[in-house]
Amino acid sequence: MQTPKEIGGIQFGLMDPETYRDMSATKVITADTYDDDGYPIDMGLMDPRLGVIDPGLECRTCGQHSGSCNGHFGHIELAAPVIHVGFTKLIRRLLRSTCRECGRLALTEEERDEYRDNLVRAEELGNDPNDVLKSAVRQARKQSYCPHPDCGGVMHEIKHEKPTTYYEVQDVLAGDYSERIAEAMQPDPDDEDDEGTGPAELAEEVGVNVGRIQEIMSGEFRPKSETRKKLEKVLGVDLTEEDMNKLMPSDIRDWFEDIPDEDIEVIGVDPERSRPEWMILTVLPVPPVTARPSITLDNGQRSEDDLTHKLVDIIRINQRFMENREAGAPQLIIEDLWELLQYHVTTFIDNEISGTPPARHRSGRPLKTLSQRLKGKEGRFRGSLSGKRVNFSARTVISPDPTLSLNEVGVPDRVAKEMTQTLNVTERNVDEARQYVANGPEAHPGANYVRRPDGRRLKVTEKNCEELATKVEEGWEVNRHLVDGDIVVFNRQPSLHRMSIMAHEVVVMPYKTFRLNTTVCPPYNADFDGDEMNMHALQNEEARAEARVLMRVQEQMLSPRFGENIIGAIQDHISGTYLLTHENPHFSETQALDLLRATSVDELPAADGEENGGPYWTGRTVFSELLPDDLNLEFTSSAGDTVEIVDGQLVTGTIDEDAVGAFGGEIVDTLTKVYSETRARVFVNEVAALAMRAIMHFGFSLGIDDESIPQAADEMVDEAIGNAYERIEELIDTYETGELESLPGRTVDETLEMKIMQTLGKARDSAGEIAEDHFQEDNPAVIMARSGARGSMLNLTQMAGCVGQQAVRGERINRGYEDRTLSHYEPNDLSAEAHGFVENSYRGGLTPREFFFHAMGGREGLVDTAVRTSKSGYLQRRLINALSELEAQYDGTVRDTSDTIVQFEYGEDGTSPVKVSSNDDNPIDVEGIADRVLDAEFGSEEEKERFLGSREPPTNLSEYAGPGLNKAQGMEVESDD
Amino acid sequence: MVDVSQHKLVPEHTVLDDPDRVDEVLSEYNVSKTNLPKITVSDPALPDKAEPGDVIEITRDSRTTDRATVYRLVVE
Ligand SMILES: [Mg+2]
Ligand SMILES: [Zn+2]
Ligand SMILES: [Zn+2]
Repeated sequence: MQTPKEIGGIQFGLMDPETYRDMSATKVITADTYDDDGYPIDMGLMDPRLGVIDPGLECRTCGQHSGSCNGHFGHIELAAPVIHVGFTKLIRRLLRSTCRECGRLALTEEERDEYRDNLVRAEELGNDPNDVLKSAVRQARKQSYCPHPDCGGVMHEIKHEKPTTYYEVQDVLAGDYSERIAEAMQPDPDDEDDEGTGPAELAEEVGVNVGRIQEIMSGEFRPKSETRKKLEKVLGVDLTEEDMNKLMPSDIRDWFEDIPDEDIEVIGVDPERSRPEWMILTVLPVPPVTARPSITLDNGQRSEDDLTHKLVDIIRINQRFMENREAGAPQLIIEDLWELLQYHVTTFIDNEISGTPPARHRSGRPLKTLSQRLKGKEGRFRGSLSGKRVNFSARTVISPDPTLSLNEVGVPDRVAKEMTQTLNVTERNVDEARQYVANGPEAHPGANYVRRPDGRRLKVTEKNCEELATKVEEGWEVNRHLVDGDIVVFNRQPSLHRMSIMAHEVVVMPYKTFRLNTTVCPPYNADFDGDEMNMHALQNEEARAEARVLMRVQEQMLSPRFGENIIGAIQDHISGTYLLTHENPHFSETQALDLLRATSVDELPAADGEENGGPYWTGRTVFSELLPDDLNLEFTSSAGDTVEIVDGQLVTGTIDEDAVGAFGGEIVDTLTKVYSETRARVFVNEVAALAMRAIMHFGFSLGIDDESIPQAADEMVDEAIGNAYERIEELIDTYETGELESLPGRTVDETLEMKIMQTLGKARDSAGEIAEDHFQEDNPAVIMARSGARGSMLNLTQMAGCVGQQAVRGERINRGYEDRTLSHYEPNDLSAEAHGFVENSYRGGLTPREFFFHAMGGREGLVDTAVRTSKSGYLQRRLINALSELEAQYDGTVRDTSDTIVQFEYGEDGTSPVKVSSNDDNPIDVEGIADRVLDAEFGSEEEKERFLGSREPPTNLSEYAGPGLNKAQGMEVESDD
Repeated sequence: MVDVSQHKLVPEHTVLDDPDRVDEVLSEYNVSKTNLPKITVSDPALPDKAEPGDVIEITRDSRTTDRATVYRLVVE
């Protein structure tokens, strides 16, 4: 069988019953599956012509074995036509909008053409064609007579009883019409003047002869509708009854056969491919056995698929129907059987129709029929096509490893031994391949399977590995274990942006967790409190190359969200660089070398000076060793001082979050954009390593005493809070005497609340300021807050000074009892403490009431985050689904899949956020770019060439083999000894 | 009645009444009229003379470039 390589499009339509018969491998007539010997019965549901599932057997239709034969459809000739449940709405639409007499659409030619044009227009403009179709049906349904002059048939109302019954609602002559007429002709007993109506009189008024009236009155003649209406008018009596005339599927089929091709187009059916009568089934296709395989249970009994069970039901009823009809059974029985057949065919297609009891298994479990296989989360589309379980993947807990490069991932050896890469054995790697096989499946770089050129796959076992290794030749394939340097894809859910899936190089390690460099935590939003991540081993050369060039962590250094680096130093790295550079401490030779031991720097620069009888190096000098020699930068640090880097030397300033941090650290950002991703990766790795040595050199810890302030300061805080209490007291007094003036647009109550909140806010701030003033510069919490490593000054003042006002819904706490928050307070107490002001600090400890109010505020925060994450997650999913088809084209426009323009120029400026440098003042740093161009212009000839000539970045090879600044160079030097 | 087209936040909408200009725009972006973004005739920002089928040129302020030009097809 040939498989088309590319699907250009899919057209959906109805299928002709003749096509069903043509493609059918056999007609199925018996409901039995297997005979007593266990062989499938011919023309039964398991007929061997429908395909094979048992290995070793040959397909009777195509001659192939199970696995290569996809199976073949059979068919059942239905004894009577039945409605296809999938089309009940369309059937109703057609019944309502076409004339039963002539089959034509109940629209004039002009109307019909107009709707057809509208349909074409709607498709062109990308509007919903359904709107047009619905309005066409609505228009046609309005008619009570066929608008075609040569027909003029009556259009009855159609009643649809779900799921598959249709009625024609007709006005007909009441059964007891003669009695009703006779009664109406009697004189009214309450009215003495009324003499009643005589037959002659009636005949004259209605306009028929007396004989006919006599016949009508005796019930011998049924008046035609016109006469009936006149009689009704004259006598003032109702002679009509509503009659529900059930439309049998065969009636509907006959009706639909009359609908002309030109008319169904307007209803949205393509007459080239589909005829409406095909919505009424006369032939039922029987799915191949491969689509409904039977399973043999442990006890040797066969268990059939749900679809097979359903087909058995259909065939049984079908046979009974035919037998009864041939035997001339009464209409009532035939109709019952017809309905039963309809039920079985309906539930075969969809077993979750509302209003129909689902067909059940003997155990009471509803059967899983065709629709149920496709629908829903576990269905074919969402469960098996959009998302499915994959091979060559692993999942485990993650933990940190600062010795890895940010491009790497530590893979447990037991994972590496399970997941394999295919090695194509060539002349050049045959020895290597044999070694892998010889190591066997248990030893680490070993192999699990080999594949001979004849396609046969052999498992490598401890027993056969030595022998198998000798047989490996060119042209074989060896499934070897993952080894250091292999590229894998790594992912942490939720995958909210493209940096949630990045490619890493494998480093095989002992123990059971995946190991990450801590600098890649921000893009994955990972921490190590039990987070798990997934790894996927890539299975072909193209995928591996793509992952290496496009997906490797260093290529994701810049986030397309804000155009700056998302990878960089975090937490202790930042504290470390701060300690190293803020006060520019001095280091002896031993100390300086120790700081740089984990970097590729192995020679110190010239010493900064001499002290205590030996040379010293400053922290900034040590840090500068990591910078490229031609880097020039000036910016303001998070700590507030100006950082100046001249010719790769940090002249002044503190290196903190704004310099090297993730989320826009200036140096990392500049290195990535101006130098290369590789240079930035080297820098981040080395900064992390240097910072860890630095923070360990100084020692960094935080205890409860670090949040205490002197007694005097504590008293100042108390005083500030006391003052605020007094002011609030005054406010309440003025309020109670009615002298408080309301702010514009506020009530007096609101004004009071606002003023109290303001006063308390100020009290908290001044308490914070007092606390802040009394902290030492080397306080670890202060260092973390200033440098941006972790925490804020607010956190610190809450620990040391005063926690402050607790709020629920942005107001002071007002809920609880009637007119008060807790029974500890008098009703209508407006004071600060009665409404959730916490005057203590976390370190000092909260009173029970403060603690309670604090818990109220904290609870709101937790609920908020919980609600927000689920809401925003769903919002983001919908946004992504809506935007996922948009694509930036080569002409710079952004278009959707139907080529409709969404943006005439990508982002209106046609630039990628990760390709332009920017600063706070300018979205695009034009000056910076121009400066660099000019520098190049007036620099030396070589420099000019380097900037003006096209600069091809080196291909991203492994860290161990790549050109330029990478580990390989350092390792070469080391390998001398 | 407030004329919103005079509001400072409403960018300038002009009808491309020269068929050559329309062709120019369509060929520049290699699109058919129906693949342009849409604007309904009832949109109050449109000039009164705009009719379905017209192409509108909108010149507006942009966060990334100072001025951005986009085109829209007037539909019912
Ligand atoms: Mg976590
Ligand atoms: Zn076959
Ligand atoms: Zn008709």
